[in-house]
Amino acid sequence: MDKLRRRFAKGATYVILFAGAAFILLPFVWMILTSLKPANEVLLMPPKWLPSRFQWENYVTAFQSAPFVRYFCNSVIVTVLITAGELLTTLLAAFAFAQIPFRGKQAVFLLLVATMMVPSDILIIPNFVTLANFGWIDTYKALALPWCASVFSIFLLRQQFASIPQDYYKAARMDGCRDLRYLFTILVPMSRPTIVSIALLKIINSWNAYLWPLIATNSNEMRTLPVGLAFFSTEAGVKYNTLMAFSLMIILPTLIVYLLTQKYIIQGVSKTGLKG
Amino acid sequence: MKPNCLIVWARNNGIKAWLYLLPALLVLGVFQIYPIIKSFLMGFYTQFDYLTDTVYEWGLGNFINLLHDADFALAIKNTCILVLCAAPLSILVSLLFAALLNTNIRFRRFFQSVYFLPFVTSMVAVSVVWAWMLNKDFGLVNAILKVFGISKVAWLTNPKMTMPILVVLAVWKGLGYRVIIFLAGLQGIDARYYAAARLDGAGSLRRFWYITIPMLKPTLVFLSITTVIDVFKTFDEVNVMYANDPGPLKSGLTIVFYIFTKFYRHWEFASAAAAAFVLFLIIFLVTLIQFALTRRRED
Amino acid sequence: MNIRLEHITKEFKAISIPRSKGDTGESRQKNVVAVKDLSLEIAEGELVCLLGPSGCGKSTTLSMVAGLERPTSGEIYFGDTPMTGIEAEGRDIGMVFQNYALYPHMTVRENIMFPLKMRRASRDERNERVEAMASMLQLKELLRRKPGQLSGGQQQRVAIARALVKQPQILLLDEPFSNLDARLRIELREDIRALQKRLGITTIFVTHDQEEAMSISDRILLLNAGVLQQYATPQEMYRHPANRFTAGFLGNPPINFLPCWYENGRVKVLDVPDWTLPSDLIQPSSQNIRGEALLGIRPEDLVVQAPGCCPARVAAMQPLGKEVYLKLEAGPYTLTACLSWDHDYQVGDLLPLSVKRLHLFPLEEAEGGGAGEA
Repeated sequence: MDKLRRRFAKGATYVILFAGAAFILLPFVWMILTSLKPANEVLLMPPKWLPSRFQWENYVTAFQSAPFVRYFCNSVIVTVLITAGELLTTLLAAFAFAQIPFRGKQAVFLLLVATMMVPSDILIIPNFVTLANFGWIDTYKALALPWCASVFSIFLLRQQFASIPQDYYKAARMDGCRDLRYLFTILVPMSRPTIVSIALLKIINSWNAYLWPLIATNSNEMRTLPVGLAFFSTEAGVKYNTLMAFSLMIILPTLIVYLLTQKYIIQGVSKTGLKG
Repeated sequence: MKPNCLIVWARNNGIKAWLYLLPALLVLGVFQIYPIIKSFLMGFYTQFDYLTDTVYEWGLGNFINLLHDADFALAIKNTCILVLCAAPLSILVSLLFAALLNTNIRFRRFFQSVYFLPFVTSMVAVSVVWAWMLNKDFGLVNAILKVFGISKVAWLTNPKMTMPILVVLAVWKGLGYRVIIFLAGLQGIDARYYAAARLDGAGSLRRFWYITIPMLKPTLVFLSITTVIDVFKTFDEVNVMYANDPGPLKSGLTIVFYIFTKFYRHWEFASAAAAAFVLFLIIFLVTLIQFALTRRRED
Repeated sequence: MNIRLEHITKEFKAISIPRSKGDTGESRQKNVVAVKDLSLEIAEGELVCLLGPSGCGKSTTLSMVAGLERPTSGEIYFGDTPMTGIEAEGRDIGMVFQNYALYPHMTVRENIMFPLKMRRASRDERNERVEAMASMLQLKELLRRKPGQLSGGQQQRVAIARALVKQPQILLLDEPFSNLDARLRIELREDIRALQKRLGITTIFVTHDQEEAMSISDRILLLNAGVLQQYATPQEMYRHPANRFTAGFLGNPPINFLPCWYENGRVKVLDVPDWTLPSDLIQPSSQNIRGEALLGIRPEDLVVQAPGCCPARVAAMQPLGKEVYLKLEAGPYTLTACLSWDHDYQVGDLLPLSVKRLHLFPLEEAEGGGAGEA
């Protein structure tokens, strides 16, 4: 009896888990399938799951129907700028907070942590005004600069740096390795997993960002992929196969990054929860 | 002050430390701390020129206009309904999946990876796909419903359907993220507590209620706060799914959508700033209330 | 290179504590004195142990010698050169840390090479010196491994190699054995001693383990609460402790202390009428004491001898093989004796005891003289 009940519980668990997986995967699967269908099979009712032939040309069409390459380059440039910028500011600031004693450290740190409470969306208006005054709207600077530092990353990395025993600092100092050199030859390699997860989360976030790139760009030439897709989706009409091909090409880079670096991303996310 | 005193002073006050902090403080100061103050002040601009950043007149006009704007009231109502439905549901579903994954289960890595997928994908791309699946005539969802004998639903044009769609999307999008954070919390609970409770005769449901839930409290607090904030900021999916519209009969008008429209479409910077500030206040208050509630339960 | 410390004092600023509700704003800035007016000289090629209970200031002293901390006042000389203003890396010091501080992302070779790299030594020189170090410390087979793949003893040897590879004038060791098991400790401290003698390098060694200090050092510097207690060879320190703290800190089992009265060439233990000891046993370090004093007898200085000047009853015994520790009762006092196990002692026996050596200490010790518990 007991055994039967346990088996039932086990079975129910798997049913729920697989149902959840199906629910999550369904849009992805449908996106892939639609993107490969010939136009006349897209709007069938009831729908055909598998296309009669894989029409890879849809991807070529998507590629040509909008300045896809331009969007793609913009996205890459902005993502690289933001990630590199954030890593630099974060490394230096986390090092100062973890390793250098100075007056006012507590106060500055608390001030920064307090700003974590503020949702980024309310910053867009003043930031737009600031950048408009600089004359930087519709440039890479406007797209990247506001996101080149993150209190959250500084906080995460500071914890990591602080967990490395002071003896390492002393040992390195005895050999004349201090400051920037210590940071980059000792601390950074020793903190690699944390830094990698910070970078990966930033890459994913910048790649997918929508609201700010939408606001900070005027011209088609400066749009990033998500903004480009949003515009394309209103123009595409019923060409769902092309639209899905376009969408998939946006998702693909982050998907590949995710599949290759899952361990780091999941570790990074787990850590964020434990800090709360 | 003698020169070497100056050096000592500089060292003690950590000039070096400030140099290290400079890049981060510069970016954060200009784009995160200053805007908080600025958006508060902008709410009070009634006559101004944003290009030269000169203000001719200050006043409460923007806030008064907001109070009289039916759209703003609707945005707040919609957002609050969305938060009240999506946040608890999202947390409950995630907790359920995390608890199931935390048992001795096969394919755990696989499930975890799959659930996390939406987190790394562009919300715009995702919204485009969902809009296609919810298409009234040719969408997959209606096709599946038809198999069960349910007739076509006008998902995207029936205002009653907007909220359910947004709630489902919120759950779908955040499931993996929350599952992973819950799992981290669950794995932090010492297995000996469960063993002890078992010896005391507690069944699995009671173990969950009396051990897991209390021990998971910090995670629950963290997730409830971040989830609520996340849902408050809903915008991308509305703007994309309804093609730059706030949904049928403005049924999907969220606060951020309202701010965006005022700011980007109507060029009304000051009203947008005032609305943004109200959003900030609401989020701040809700967070405080959440803290207060969880504190009190501790006593 | 000899090392000289002159009147070194180190204070740490404590966090200001608000006094009480009454006085507003006023806060009491109480500085913690870690090291107080310490002067000493270490000769070239000597191995000196800084010994003392935890928190006595020995690590702080080492850090000041290393240049990782600045003394609040006083001066440190290497040879005739004052060290104020010379940073750690300019002092030509090799240092081994308690947890070794081996860089986990570098191989053993890279770890040993690191100090040379920082000095921009040429590639040939680097390789040559690393090879030399590796063969001296038997690390040749381990050069390609990472520290995580090494045992505690091997990590220790890598840390020593890294400290010595730049051929420093001075070697500092900060509790280098505390993470190792007992047997390895004894083995490694013999190795270090041999290596140090061979290289003739001036060495300072921090430990809280008195046995380790006694077995390895040329001289021991005993610190308590930041104050120098005694600076002498192990033998001198054990035989002629300068004060009560030194006498009590060295020796295992610890010395027995009994209050006594010293007059007219006789030492009478208070409250035990039978116990009267001749003063010719008193060690020369405890002259000039009259009247009430504290008598110290090391456990091994108590012997069973037929006439005996001081009888005591066996209360408990703890046999250790070649010797036996006896808990003895004499009047209100309990003493420990360490005797060779050639006789069957029974609990309850009344033993005739005599004493080989006596140490006398004044009851109240002046702080300046290096008193014990401050």
